[in-house]
Amino acid sequence: MAADQVSTGTRAVESVRTTVGSLVSPASERQREIRRIVALCLPFSVLLLFSGVFPLTEMFRISFSESRLVTEGFTVEYYRAMVTDPYYRNIAFNTLWFAAATTVTSIAVAVPVAHALEKYALPAKSVILTVLSFPNSLPGIVAAFMIIILFGNTGILSNVFAFLSGQSRIDVAIATSVGGLFFAYIYSMIPRALLLLRGTYAEVNTDAEEAARVLGATPLQTFRYVTLPQIKPGLIGASILVFRTGLAIFGTVLILKGLLVWTLQIDRELAQGFNIAQASAMATVWFVFVFGFTVLMLRYTSAEVSI
Amino acid sequence: MSEVSLERVTKRFDSTVAVNDVSIDIDDGEVMGIVGPSGCGKTTALRLVAGFETPTDGTIRYDGDDVTHVPPENRNVGLVFQSYALFNNMSVLKNVTFGPKMHGVGKEERRERAHELLELLDIEELADRNPKTLSGGQQQRVGLARALAIEPHILLLDEPMTGLDAKLKQTLRQELGQLLDDLGVTTLYVTHDQEQAMSMCDRIAVMNEGHLEQIGTPAEIYEEPANEFVAGFIGTANLLDGTVRDGTLSLGFEDVDTPEAVASNGAVTVLVRPDDIPVGSGPIDVEVTNLFYQGEHIQATGELPDGRELTLRLDRSETAVGIGDTISIDFDPESLHIIESTR
Repeated sequence: MAADQVSTGTRAVESVRTTVGSLVSPASERQREIRRIVALCLPFSVLLLFSGVFPLTEMFRISFSESRLVTEGFTVEYYRAMVTDPYYRNIAFNTLWFAAATTVTSIAVAVPVAHALEKYALPAKSVILTVLSFPNSLPGIVAAFMIIILFGNTGILSNVFAFLSGQSRIDVAIATSVGGLFFAYIYSMIPRALLLLRGTYAEVNTDAEEAARVLGATPLQTFRYVTLPQIKPGLIGASILVFRTGLAIFGTVLILKGLLVWTLQIDRELAQGFNIAQASAMATVWFVFVFGFTVLMLRYTSAEVSI
Repeated sequence: MSEVSLERVTKRFDSTVAVNDVSIDIDDGEVMGIVGPSGCGKTTALRLVAGFETPTDGTIRYDGDDVTHVPPENRNVGLVFQSYALFNNMSVLKNVTFGPKMHGVGKEERRERAHELLELLDIEELADRNPKTLSGGQQQRVGLARALAIEPHILLLDEPMTGLDAKLKQTLRQELGQLLDDLGVTTLYVTHDQEQAMSMCDRIAVMNEGHLEQIGTPAEIYEEPANEFVAGFIGTANLLDGTVRDGTLSLGFEDVDTPEAVASNGAVTVLVRPDDIPVGSGPIDVEVTNLFYQGEHIQATGELPDGRELTLRLDRSETAVGIGDTISIDFDPESLHIIESTR
């Protein structure tokens, strides 16, 4: 037994030595390729280790801590609370339906825009693209501020609606409601969906679409039978991207409130309840859910969306 | 089937005139070819007939009806693409039944029609396959079956054999020619391959830079080209400058009787095909400058006594001829064709 362990250990050391040796002095083209891959990925791998893997591991460990502030003991109490406490279940439900609703709406709006951009010659296309991509770099807090300007108690549109309906401005202001949050969020989600969909549209076989047209299909039928199946990977990819981003909503909801979602509650656990263990448990669940969801979705599509 | 006509059709894209005042009448059941070099406007002409482009000027008619502004889905046109353009999300059978389905044909009838066409094209066994799994030749047959399934007014073939290997191209050419004859479907065949057009089409329209240069039967186009472009594009041509004076054509190194009625004396361009030049005896000496073995024959280039270049066709038996040798040739007045006055 001991001899076997020694032998296994020796083989492992030998294997590591061989790998390192081939990286230092590669003998074949394949080994030279591996060395190049390692060199190219090394900076990111180091970053991933120290700002990704290590914090996640630490967070996972804290989530089982008996103390709310320091890491000691072992308990699953914080996970149990998320399952049994209606307060957390309600937050989970809010988070999921909000992410799903923003996903469906963003995709529904982005598909026709992508279609128009990729299928037709538009004047000033580069200007249109710049305007459409602008919200991509818009911080959630700024998007929230824009909604307040439009739909807040003294917002421009609130004033218009109040004038038209005869109600008070405060009654018609929706900036801090779920509706306001929804508008603010889909505004920044549509360009993300558009980005992926435009890439997919570029690969659509236009000859096949024209074939459908001459065979008697209307433009709508052509979209349904020919275009839609071809953009399916893009649709799934965009859905994954938008849904994941929807789950991670924070800046916008921090300003507008409107809905208590998972990330906002994590912030409250940390800032108001000083409950680091509960926040870690919530963050762990969030991470596992997003990771699992992405892996599951990618299993059924060739969508090019990274985990 | 129906008659299709383009009447003085022009298509401009910004400052580019892709099709310039082109008129073509395609008779019922006729196979009309459009040939020309890349960018000559032949594909635009096809797209105008299909309805993907709207003419800037002119009219397109099917059986006398103006369809100029009718969208493609209402024209009942069968189109076979160079890229096949099959629906890869559907089986072969569903590809073929797609058109009839869009035209409101019942499920049983469209399946029956599809199976008949697949059988006719000898691809019945591929009915349940995905087009992606088929060879180029098989995909092209599926594309043809799909186009014919709607019983189109006109069948449009856009470079349908580009991308296929030479042997398959030859086989498909024969089969397609036979099929179009049998079905009697009015066809517009667009290709840059003049050989394909010559062998498959009843008439050919030669286009260049948006203009229609000549329209006629393959024999007319080959034997009596309207101008230097047509002569040079269809087949191999020797174009020689000459002068006509009182019934005599002077080529500089040789005088011959004018081969046809020439209205007036003066400078002319003369076409003589390589296969119309007898080699081995004659009054004109040509120095061979290059030889190209082409399997069935040998193509030679030679220098005439006045330094001009001439293309000749040698039998395979002439293998003794080498570069630098001098061979004798003759010009038969009957094989010379005066195609245009140069001034």
